[in-house]
Amino acid sequence: MKNNYTVRKAAILGAGVMGAQIAAHFANAGIPVILFDLPSEGKDKNAIINKAIKMLGKAKPAPLGYKSVTQLIQPANYETDLEKLLEVDLVIEAIVERMDIKKSLYDKIEDYIKVDAIFATNTSGLSINALSEVFPEKLKHQFCGVHFFNPPRYMHLVEIIPTKKTDANVITALTEFMSSTLGKGVVNAKDTPNFIANRIGVFSIICTIYHGMKFNIPLETVDALTGTLIGRAKSATFRTADVVGLDTLNHTVNTMLNGLPDDPWNKHYKLPSWLTDLIQAGALGAKTRAGVYKKEGRDIKILDIKKKEYRLQDAKIDDEVLAILKNRNAVERFEQLRASNSNQAQFLYSMYRDLFHYSAYHLEEIADNAREVDFAIRWGFGWKQGPFEIWQAADWKKVTSWINQDMKDGKTMVQAALPEWVAEIDGIHTAEGSYAPKTKSFQGRPDLAVFKRQLFPELTIGEKSDYGTTVHEDDDIRLWHMGDGVLIASFKTKKHIVTTGVLAGIQKAVKIAEADYKGLVIWQTTEPFTLGANLAPALQAVAEGRVDEVEDLVNTFQQTSQTLRFSKVPTVIAVRGMALGGGCEFSMNATSVVAAFESYIGLVEAGVGLLPAGGGLKEIARRTSEDFETGDLYPQIEHFFKLVAMAQVAGSGLEAKKWKLLKPCTDIVFNSHEVLYVAKEKVKWLHAKGYRAPAEDQNIRVCGQAGIANMKMILANMMAGRMMSPHDYEIAVRIATVISGGDVDSNSRVSEQYLLDLERKLFIELIQMPKTLARIEHTLKTGKPLRN
Amino acid sequence: MKQVQDVYIVEAVRTPVGKAPRGMFNKTRPDDLLSHCMSTMLARHPDFDKNEIGDVVIGCAMPEGEQGMNIARIASLLAGIPDTVPAMTINRFCSSGVQAIAIAAQQIATGQMNCAIAGGTESMSMVPMMGNKVTMNPKVFEDDNIGIAYGMGITAENVADQWKVSRQAQDEFAYNSHMRALNAIEKGYFKDEIAPYTIESRTPDLAKAETIVSTKTVENDEGPRKGTSIEVLNKLRAVFKMGGSVTAGNSSQMSDGAGSLLLVNEETLKRYNMTPIAKYHGFSVAGVPADIMGIGPIKAIPKVLDLAGLKVQDMDWIELNEAFAAQSLAVIGELNLDTDKVNPNGGAIALGHPLGATGAIRAATAIHGLRRTGGKYGMITMCIGTGMGAAGIIEAL
Repeated sequence: MKNNYTVRKAAILGAGVMGAQIAAHFANAGIPVILFDLPSEGKDKNAIINKAIKMLGKAKPAPLGYKSVTQLIQPANYETDLEKLLEVDLVIEAIVERMDIKKSLYDKIEDYIKVDAIFATNTSGLSINALSEVFPEKLKHQFCGVHFFNPPRYMHLVEIIPTKKTDANVITALTEFMSSTLGKGVVNAKDTPNFIANRIGVFSIICTIYHGMKFNIPLETVDALTGTLIGRAKSATFRTADVVGLDTLNHTVNTMLNGLPDDPWNKHYKLPSWLTDLIQAGALGAKTRAGVYKKEGRDIKILDIKKKEYRLQDAKIDDEVLAILKNRNAVERFEQLRASNSNQAQFLYSMYRDLFHYSAYHLEEIADNAREVDFAIRWGFGWKQGPFEIWQAADWKKVTSWINQDMKDGKTMVQAALPEWVAEIDGIHTAEGSYAPKTKSFQGRPDLAVFKRQLFPELTIGEKSDYGTTVHEDDDIRLWHMGDGVLIASFKTKKHIVTTGVLAGIQKAVKIAEADYKGLVIWQTTEPFTLGANLAPALQAVAEGRVDEVEDLVNTFQQTSQTLRFSKVPTVIAVRGMALGGGCEFSMNATSVVAAFESYIGLVEAGVGLLPAGGGLKEIARRTSEDFETGDLYPQIEHFFKLVAMAQVAGSGLEAKKWKLLKPCTDIVFNSHEVLYVAKEKVKWLHAKGYRAPAEDQNIRVCGQAGIANMKMILANMMAGRMMSPHDYEIAVRIATVISGGDVDSNSRVSEQYLLDLERKLFIELIQMPKTLARIEHTLKTGKPLRN
Repeated sequence: MKQVQDVYIVEAVRTPVGKAPRGMFNKTRPDDLLSHCMSTMLARHPDFDKNEIGDVVIGCAMPEGEQGMNIARIASLLAGIPDTVPAMTINRFCSSGVQAIAIAAQQIATGQMNCAIAGGTESMSMVPMMGNKVTMNPKVFEDDNIGIAYGMGITAENVADQWKVSRQAQDEFAYNSHMRALNAIEKGYFKDEIAPYTIESRTPDLAKAETIVSTKTVENDEGPRKGTSIEVLNKLRAVFKMGGSVTAGNSSQMSDGAGSLLLVNEETLKRYNMTPIAKYHGFSVAGVPADIMGIGPIKAIPKVLDLAGLKVQDMDWIELNEAFAAQSLAVIGELNLDTDKVNPNGGAIALGHPLGATGAIRAATAIHGLRRTGGKYGMITMCIGTGMGAAGIIEAL
């Protein structure tokens, strides 16, 4: 294996949902990928694969970051195309989970794998070492397991599992590739049944069902108690089971039943009969439109276990339990759960206790250290904290003693002594690292070059970040640096909304950067980048007749965007997560952008009855003029018009770039933890090449009244088709007017400030309209848009 | 100059109609489609002196881009018509093809010439509806002319509303259009009018850096759907209006195609011993409000009948262009047309509607249909964007 492993081309074997979606994510990352499956009968031998590729455009949530990336997916079949495998650096096998079928495929491909290629099997149920046994001898050192979670684009977790014969370099290279190129959270797992995430996660489901039944908690209440309220995914327990598929869940449980005969919990590795009855009846969950839940008309009903029919949901959480769960002090919370007489509290406490017990008992067997377990559960099941972290937060020693006491009292699911190390430590995660039972030490993070790109990686409960040296800090913003000459601005507001304080802070940041730094990066320590401007003060001002103040505020917003644009030193916006409204406008005006692939960017002001007036519409007109020195400006203006008037949000950083909301010089980064690193390097590079700020554009060609008329035609049809309200029309016409440069002759020339003035003037018109005010008020109150 | 003479049609041919923008002709130029029709007609009359053609009048609804530059002139030169013969492209949107016949016929009738070619061509694959560059006069939005800005789908919704045409009726009408068209294809009813076209495609051979030239001859219309059913049509969503009734399935299809006719006076007919297949009997156009443009034929049909001194009952075959099922049903209902006589071979919902070519194409269908069934009078009528209707009458011989 070469040190500099790169995947120029990859192959995915198996065009099922998982295989096709993995292929889609490779394509998202710009990697050409050959998608293999069995040859079809008939003229088109690749019919199965072509159909799978076509389905990618329809699947929800979207596996494709942009529709045309499927061009990078090449269909192929095992009958005629095997030699194409010789072109690839990485093969991921995702065919049916049967040893004999996998073996016969492995036999076929033996002569078509490059000497320095990696071959990984995406199995979740079979032993990697057993598969290695049937894998061609000469390739065994290139073989390992890789376990994606569904849907692979969105689930951060990838488990990598070496066999006894896997070359260590293979694991390093694959880890680096998965982490940086595909943006995944890599966990190294041992080759035990269900690896880490499914082993612990599925046990958690079993344990939840066990205690739910024991304490007589109705199914919908179990879900109400085990979802967002305790820091887990919204789909909680049974909804998750439905989404995964009850048959798949049962298969995973059986893998543990059959593969772990000596496990003290073995007798618990089965689903209750009411669940297996559902499977028997073909109610497998979301894919069959019925499982534990069933949608009937507008109602989502839940199974009545006794009556064996679906009924309306009626989740009830005890007030006492709700109060306990809202307590932010984890130590108190667990004490209260344990002490409460409420069945619901006892259910939750027991569920946690047995999960802790199980996790500690099996840690050494399934993972190198506790960090792998907690991250696997966070990234694979969407929990905010993994089991060991919850335990540690609740007081490691105290909870340990409770487990021992409860075991003595016969309350635990099984009698199995906790490993000795549990009593020897005060906590499992420390600043130094996470506990590794085998070496009886705290293991730090793997020392791989690629992880150095993650300046602020996801941390365990034992770790803390060092956010550099503060240059300026107030209530709204913090300006800081990491000693490399790049100033960083991070908003401190809720959801990073843009307040007057943030605007002043950005202007200050540019001033400081111009004096003493190579450039400025705007980056937030957590997602989102921003949900946009703070509208509450503007609403208040309009209500009190202080429209002039609103106009001043808009002017400040515009001038802040211009400050980013004309800064003497480069300004780079580092986006991950949502960047709406003003956030999008900052990225349109700054020198450049580094965006995580999972960024969701859009000018959404129309949703609250406004138009983007932070220099966003100005940039649309200005850039269109720049892109087309001659010829018709209108098609591009119309493209933007549709995005803005319909408040569309791009489904990925890539899509935002294709839509031209993000500049062509934008870099898309797959691992959002690398965004700051790349943004800072970009500032340094821009500085090194002698950055010069652009001159103010005084010669912007606009499409004028002809453009407005064309857009009015679109609107007239939408109005007649009842696809928009009269107020939508008012908003959209003003958006059309600004991006057309006003009601002037076509091809008139205007300045940036003229466009900003137009933006501001029409914004002020809108914000005084009662229907706009109603929209803003509704959104501030509910967080949702109002159609009026 | 001889005044008012009869006008005879001796040829009426058309290409098969392809789907746009992803159908069989999506890379075939509209001038090639048209010149093919003209040269097919003329090849059937080897003794005819082409210098006698007084004019070539061609309809095209979006005469720009690939069908710009006076496509009538370009196509006639490509068809081997001598450069002494003039040509013009005319545009009255969807009626352009039948309008071209009328202009050619009127020139002969008034004795200005002995012979003319009329026709139409349209590639909606290459030049989209509303053209490559859409522009609307800003003044349209200042007064009551906003109807001009409406897309055709909205006008169909308006007609469906005002004439109370139900979704179910529209879907049934659409279904029947497909069934009639499939039946006509199966029985070979279009054989006499279609000039099979050999499509030449030129694709890159990436390995050899060469061009692969392949040909394929097509002789049937591409639009009719074998698998369709009322249930399938019922499932489609209204595309132009929330809660509306006009769907992709009960609207005409976008298409590519061409058609042409050879028109002569009696003297020419005799001199060359040609067999006439039809006689021209008149043409009218009328205006209606733009926002309900689909009702155009309601005004145009009585006007042309009056002109020709005929009654609607005299018509044995009516080609009523199915821009939308909604407007077709409104016209049929309002004028009490005999549905057995309207589009016996299916209409634009199944066969497609290559805008400016449709009039010429459907004239060929009516003429050959009447000759096959022994009927006498035929009508070609359609609604026209921005609010008009056109209707022409021929008599099969």
